[in-house]
Amino acid sequence: VAALQSSAPAAGLGILYLLAVLAVAVRRGQVAALATAVLSVLVLNYLFITPRHRLSIAHSQDVVELTVLLIAAVVVGRLAATGREKAAEAESRAGLATAREREANLIAQAASAVLAGENVQMQLENIGKRIALATGAGHARVVLEPVPSPASGEMAVRLPARSRPAWLYVSRDGDWPQEDIERVAEPLGKLIDVAVEREVVSERAAETEAARRTEVARTALLHAISHDLRSPLTAITTAASALRAPAITEAERSELIDVIDAEGSRLARLVGDLLDLSRIQAGAVSPQPDWCDLHDVVTSAAAQLEADHRVEFSLAPGLPLIRADAAQLERVFANLIENAAKFSPAGSPIEIAAAAGTGRITVRVTDHGRGIPKRYRSRIFEPFFRGGEGGGAAGSGLGLAICRGFVEANGGRIALQSGRSSGTSFVVTFPVAEQPAAVQ
Amino acid sequence: VTKAPRILVVDDEPHIVRGLKIILRTAGYAVEAAETKAEALALLAARPPDAVVLDLVLPDGQGVDVCREVRSWSGLPIVVLSAVGDEREKVRALDAGADDYVTKPFGTDELLARLRAVLRRSGESGGSSKLTLGELDIDFADRRLHRSGREVHLTPIEFDLVRVLAQNQGRLVTHRTLLREVWGPEYDDATHYLRVHVAHIRAKLESDPSRPQYLLTEPGVGYRLRDPAAR
Repeated sequence: VAALQSSAPAAGLGILYLLAVLAVAVRRGQVAALATAVLSVLVLNYLFITPRHRLSIAHSQDVVELTVLLIAAVVVGRLAATGREKAAEAESRAGLATAREREANLIAQAASAVLAGENVQMQLENIGKRIALATGAGHARVVLEPVPSPASGEMAVRLPARSRPAWLYVSRDGDWPQEDIERVAEPLGKLIDVAVEREVVSERAAETEAARRTEVARTALLHAISHDLRSPLTAITTAASALRAPAITEAERSELIDVIDAEGSRLARLVGDLLDLSRIQAGAVSPQPDWCDLHDVVTSAAAQLEADHRVEFSLAPGLPLIRADAAQLERVFANLIENAAKFSPAGSPIEIAAAAGTGRITVRVTDHGRGIPKRYRSRIFEPFFRGGEGGGAAGSGLGLAICRGFVEANGGRIALQSGRSSGTSFVVTFPVAEQPAAVQ
Repeated sequence: VTKAPRILVVDDEPHIVRGLKIILRTAGYAVEAAETKAEALALLAARPPDAVVLDLVLPDGQGVDVCREVRSWSGLPIVVLSAVGDEREKVRALDAGADDYVTKPFGTDELLARLRAVLRRSGESGGSSKLTLGELDIDFADRRLHRSGREVHLTPIEFDLVRVLAQNQGRLVTHRTLLREVWGPEYDDATHYLRVHVAHIRAKLESDPSRPQYLLTEPGVGYRLRDPAAR
């Protein structure tokens, strides 16, 4: 500025000082700008206003000039400084917006983790993974626990969930400062509540579904029972009214009496089976266990068979005794043998094999029938399940269900082994207990 | 002398069929029997009987399917035997074309009454314009009803209901049939209409509407108008 003094009037030079004030205001703010303005006027006065090199003013015209200059400098300084503040504010607002945006992103990520997960544990894992990804941390995990247990190098942030106390642990190598992470703690806590609530609801739904299935099964059972009881009843009542008809022959009369007889015993058998089944289902079978010899049980069960079948035994000598209710086991084997007879061609043999293995004794009842189609095998032990063919009227459909009930009540197991092309084996196994002293 | 009406009994329980044959024969019918759906359809096609007594559960299919097949070519009366005790099964059979049902175990009298009713209807050709039912005299042409000689005033809808039931005298008429005949096919499900109007009709026809003698309810299935003396 001093270099220009010869070619410019003092007030004109003052404009150059205004530039300095402007620069300072933009860089340093309002206070610095004000100071610069005052200093500029003083310097101008000292250097260029006559008398020079003194802070006094000779001409009143210069006073006006300097005053105008000072006011201009102050105003310019203020304007520039305000502009600078506005810019700074906008900048910080933009920064804040970015921070909010990334927080919102994180919450959205966590929410989708909750939606995608199958159970709470999986959802928490997913939330942890998403947080690590979003914050650039090496790892992050969410743990449901009352007392925080961060590993070393992890920061612990409490997630205020209402359902259960929850903690977020994030490794300290991430981009987010702790206070930023704390800002998302509350929404994360709410998400955890949602996850827990969802699990409770789905558990409840599963319970309801199970109850509904039981109800359906029970209705099906009642249906089957009512059908099975009504058929013999109808045969009996019909035969009874037919007997009352005036013009029936002696042959018809005896035939009708046979019907009543047969259907009466069918009804009695059915009622007995139903009773057994309900005892089994109620867990009220209460076997009377005693030492029993399966050899005796099997042969006396086979002796009850009335149908035209040969029973072939292959029983290993010296079978160990088992602790079981002999009467119930006899029912089991009589049922299995009767079943085998029913489902195999007349005259074909029924094979019964028994052998002791390691800690178990196995009895196998095999027929030479058509075998059981694959699609029925898993349902064969269900009450009232009949494999389609083989005589609807013949059985109650309860025999195998009762067999399984009695076998299991006596500590054994029963399984179906259907042959490759034909024939069916029912395999019954019992654990071998320590033998009584007299036998050892 | 008219020939004995022929009845086909379709049931896979031989013991039931044996008794039924004797009962029906004694009641004056000629009886044939089939054990399976296939056998029944073959017999029906070969020599159609006058009526069918049909079990709903057959070893090779459902009685309902037999109803449907028979209805595709014949209107011969079908009485269904149902051991199922399930209203839905009965309604399914009736909708498939069965004329009536009895539930196992059934009374012989009940079965014979149902058979008589379905056979009577199939025997009526066109139907007369007047019907007497116990104390009720119904004139379809004049749309008038007298009870013990005194006129009973029925609204047009009430008379239509009585007409449909009376033309099916003694037979079960399903909710659906009544609604279609009286209101139209779009009223299939409006069974509450029936309850209201049936209550009104009973108040006018029955001496004790809470113990109806003429207009009987078949719960969940339909209604039946009968002559109380004709049991």
